Amino acid sequence: MKYIAIVLLAWLGASQAGGDSYVCKNAKVSIFSKAPLEDISALSGKAVSVYNPATGELVFSVPVRSFVFEKSLMQEHFNENYMESDKYPNASFKGRILEKVDVSKDGTYTVKAAGVLDVHGIKQNRTIEGKVQVNKGRLKLSSEFIVKCKDHQIDIPRLVFQKIAENIQVKIAADYSRYQK
Amino acid sequence: MRKCLSLFMLILSSLLTLAQDAPADSLSADSLINALSADGKDETVIAAFKSTRLILTPTSETMRKKDLNFMVVHRFGDVAGKDGGSRTLWGLDNSSDIYIGFEYGLSDKLDISFGRSKFEQLLDLGFKYKVLEQKGDGSMPFALTVIAQMGLKPYEVSTNVFDDYTNRLSYFYQAVFSRKFSSRFSLVAAPSFLRNNLPFPYLEGNEKNIFSVSVAGRLKVTKRMGIVADYVHPFSSFRKDSKSPEFYAPSAIGIEVETGGHVFTVNLANAQAISPINYIADTESKWTKGQYRIGFTITRVFSFGKKEQNNY
Repeated sequence: MKYIAIVLLAWLGASQAGGDSYVCKNAKVSIFSKAPLEDISALSGKAVSVYNPATGELVFSVPVRSFVFEKSLMQEHFNENYMESDKYPNASFKGRILEKVDVSKDGTYTVKAAGVLDVHGIKQNRTIEGKVQVNKGRLKLSSEFIVKCKDHQIDIPRLVFQKIAENIQVKIAADYSRYQK
Repeated sequence: MRKCLSLFMLILSSLLTLAQDAPADSLSADSLINALSADGKDETVIAAFKSTRLILTPTSETMRKKDLNFMVVHRFGDVAGKDGGSRTLWGLDNSSDIYIGFEYGLSDKLDISFGRSKFEQLLDLGFKYKVLEQKGDGSMPFALTVIAQMGLKPYEVSTNVFDDYTNRLSYFYQAVFSRKFSSRFSLVAAPSFLRNNLPFPYLEGNEKNIFSVSVAGRLKVTKRMGIVADYVHPFSSFRKDSKSPEFYAPSAIGIEVETGGHVFTVNLANAQAISPINYIADTESKWTKGQYRIGFTITRVFSFGKKEQNNY
């Protein structure tokens, strides 16, 4: 009896941490930049996100190493020279979706998320527009925004042959399901 | 007593369930995201070196699939000593060795290389294979890459002892152990075996087989520039005892600059030759006699392959 109670307690305690959260373990993040020599694009399907519609709280995190580029040398330079992924392994956004999203009603909401964007270890306050789609208890989040290399101290040296654009276009897409332990 | 405890637990549980309706604090979302994300520690360590070779010693890096590396390596004449000085513009008038080579990635772990040296007109064909890769979590603390190379001297340089064609051949095997200690500092230690079917240089008592060990490292000063140093020690009693000529351990120091696809090295080395088949067997120049030279390496990577990218 005691043990059942303990197990019950542990289970309830664990589910408590999730609350009313929705999670996505395989969110997609793509980056794109137009450069004179060749366009640079990369995709990661390993971002994770937690969204709590009750509080509006939104956390989004992507491992920098998970971005796959067309060219492996580009990928190496992205990690080694620009993002320094061994020092700053994740890029993240922590904030709140300002609008109330009613998860019990299907529909599409245009929303704004305000919070802190952490790229290359440099934190920037950002308000980013996006869309939340509610469909039968599942949530879809998508957004498109610009990250300026300068804002996050990603320096582009003059002595580089492949010129790299100052502005990086970022697209995210996440498919959430209700958090279940 | 036991019943009492159970009851207490149940009450506590129901209290917690009620608490669930309260807004979760930011800590819970944070811990949730931490639980979801992989820590990334088990990732393979990449870019221990910027290039497939330092000055003398190969690194553990190989060309990745469908990447082609084009190399031009140059060693000038003696900076000082009797062949150097202002008369030869500190050696720039002479070239002790010129190497033009290609490396092509057959897979992400295996590449094939081909090159030609001015020194002994040596042609070399080789394979380089990544056996082990260093892991971020320390489960594999170092990387191991193995090299097998065959050398051919197509011309008779200083002798007519090439009557038997197999005498023109040499074989070089190396196990390159490397470790990236930090994003700045990487080190290689590479034991190797060189077999010359005809002892080179062609001297009485010279050995066909030479074991040697190379130690080399890179210390990044900035993100794109670093200091590189190489030392090669041949274990050869003939070379140790020989008085005329005298043999020395090849060593070099230089600066490496990476500019996105290109890697340049400017260096000073006592070794005249560029290929290990040549410099392990025949380094007769001594730093303190002014017999060191300016050298440079230019490499350029061309990517022919495109990775699968499932855009959405």
